[in-house]
Amino acid sequence: MIRVGVVGYGTIGQIHCDALGNVPGCELAVVADLDPARRTQAQKDFGVEVANDIEEMLQTTDVDLVDICVPTYLHEQVMVKAMEANKHIFCEKPLARTLEEGRRLVNLSAGYSQKIGIGHVVRFTPAYMGIRQSVEQGEIGQAGVVRTFRGGSQFPEGWQDWFANFDLSGGVILDLAIHDLDLCRWLFGDVQRVYAKTSRGRTTAHLEHAMIVLRFKSGVIAHVEGSWTNFKGEFYTTMEVAGTNGLISYDSRTTNPIITMAVPEESMQVGAVAANPYVLELQDIVQAIGDDRPPLVSVQDAFGTLQVALAALESTRTGQVIEL
Amino acid sequence: MVVKVGFLSLAHMHAYSYGRALNNLANCTLVGIYDPNKERGIKGAQEMNTRFFGDPAELLTQVDAVIICSENNRHREFTELAAKYGCHVLCEKPIATTMEDAEAMIDACREAKVKLQIAFPVRFATPVMRVKEMLHRGAIGDVVAITGTNHGQMPGGWFVDPVLAGGGAVMDHTVHVVDLIRWFLGQEFVSVYAEAGCGMLWDVDIDDCGMLSMELEGGTIVTQDPSWSRPRTNPTWGDVTLHIVGAKGVIDLDAYAQNFVVYDDAQNKVSERSFAEDMDLGLITDFITMITDDREPSITGLDGLKAMEVALAAYESARINKPIALN
Repeated sequence: MIRVGVVGYGTIGQIHCDALGNVPGCELAVVADLDPARRTQAQKDFGVEVANDIEEMLQTTDVDLVDICVPTYLHEQVMVKAMEANKHIFCEKPLARTLEEGRRLVNLSAGYSQKIGIGHVVRFTPAYMGIRQSVEQGEIGQAGVVRTFRGGSQFPEGWQDWFANFDLSGGVILDLAIHDLDLCRWLFGDVQRVYAKTSRGRTTAHLEHAMIVLRFKSGVIAHVEGSWTNFKGEFYTTMEVAGTNGLISYDSRTTNPIITMAVPEESMQVGAVAANPYVLELQDIVQAIGDDRPPLVSVQDAFGTLQVALAALESTRTGQVIEL
Repeated sequence: MVVKVGFLSLAHMHAYSYGRALNNLANCTLVGIYDPNKERGIKGAQEMNTRFFGDPAELLTQVDAVIICSENNRHREFTELAAKYGCHVLCEKPIATTMEDAEAMIDACREAKVKLQIAFPVRFATPVMRVKEMLHRGAIGDVVAITGTNHGQMPGGWFVDPVLAGGGAVMDHTVHVVDLIRWFLGQEFVSVYAEAGCGMLWDVDIDDCGMLSMELEGGTIVTQDPSWSRPRTNPTWGDVTLHIVGAKGVIDLDAYAQNFVVYDDAQNKVSERSFAEDMDLGLITDFITMITDDREPSITGLDGLKAMEVALAAYESARINKPIALN
């Protein structure tokens, strides 16, 4: 039984703790959070041990896998501590806030004896797994032009409102659109060049809309759109892949088999299918440990996606096309 | 006053819809059709219940106004000819294929004191007009970002001839969305970046995929997808959509959403049927009342030129892989 320690009990940490309950072969052993109220909440929610931070967690509790759910700018330091303790690691996306942090993690992870997986959860989302399979099987011929959208809901809530601090979060491109940048890399390979625009700076920090135009080495043209808006609305995602023989079209708004109006607290369904992507991504790392195989998303792979997202940020800053 | 109207060329299929509109309106009459393609002209004249003219001059002496539905690169010669005969002009989009031609058309009409209107019928779609009104009264606050699409199926014919059309998907499908945004916000585009690809989806030697990323003078960021990316099995020809993000709200506009779906086993085909009001009828009504009321065109030659300028800049950007600044 793999004992898991979750570091960070914010929005994503709570989702991971929930998901771990459905992953065979592991158990949630401990939750670390700097906030005493969150620690109390974790105890109440899961009846597990708690710790102040990763150091205390590693001293007091025996864990095999450290699941890092802290804000992006803390990923590197927490992951380094987990590596010093020689633990298996699962870390939320993005890999890191900066290229330097990412590069250091790539170097440290080369030759590391334990498993490290990065939480690009979209790769574990059934709709996208299905789309990838269709593309790979050539159902629509050669892919030519691609569109993705992600967003539409309210601005994310985070510890000390860190999402609103660009230096800490990287804004909507590094936190949200990166899902689709990773997805597009997974489907269409290496990116040749990036040109991106963001509304950041023209509105309050709690609204950002970004559009990223990508050209892949394969020739594929993609438009990736990420939206943090502070209006009332459901989160949704869309994807379209046009190819020489047809078109794949997906819209999460039209694929929900249950629509409720009377019971608001039940209206948030996690996806339209039984398989929960958070369960699947954590199952992947647990199985990777058991089977001694690499997890689906390696540090190196996540670094490739980070490079594209940071190139997009560079483009928004300079107004120039960034070649990769 | 009954406005006498003629067609100069039926090369663009919008002519048939405009012809129906002319036949449905009381204050105008369709006098006839000149088409350099005689066979097409005769057939079109039969369909529209009007006369075919083998000589454009003969038609032009009998009408007050013409609708030009020729190939894009011939808009200039037909506009200049109409102006010479003192006829008002409704010209299909894009206005032309070069800046020089567009400027010459505007000059010719101004000098001849005839009105030049460009056919951007989407302005007359009811949902589009409603969104303009919403933006005008500040329903979503200041607009900060817009993502547009004008997808289509590959139209074939002269549309894929670089000389006759002046470009492929980027030329064909950039101008509608650019025109709507200029009209909505009253601002000009100041920069254009574009990716474009030739023959990526279809067996054509012209751009069939593109992606434009632009900025307006007020700082609003805009992207536009003009790709001919709707497959043959698509239930409709394409779309015009705008996702408009403001400081206080978001509007999702799908100009052609008012459809029901027909599943037809006999034809082995699924298709969408519109129940929306006819935007082409709106355009033609506007053009005719412009003449009867003697007012300025609601869509000017300059509007046409500005939209085409963005498409031309997109081609230049795609060639050099750098954003292009517009004056």
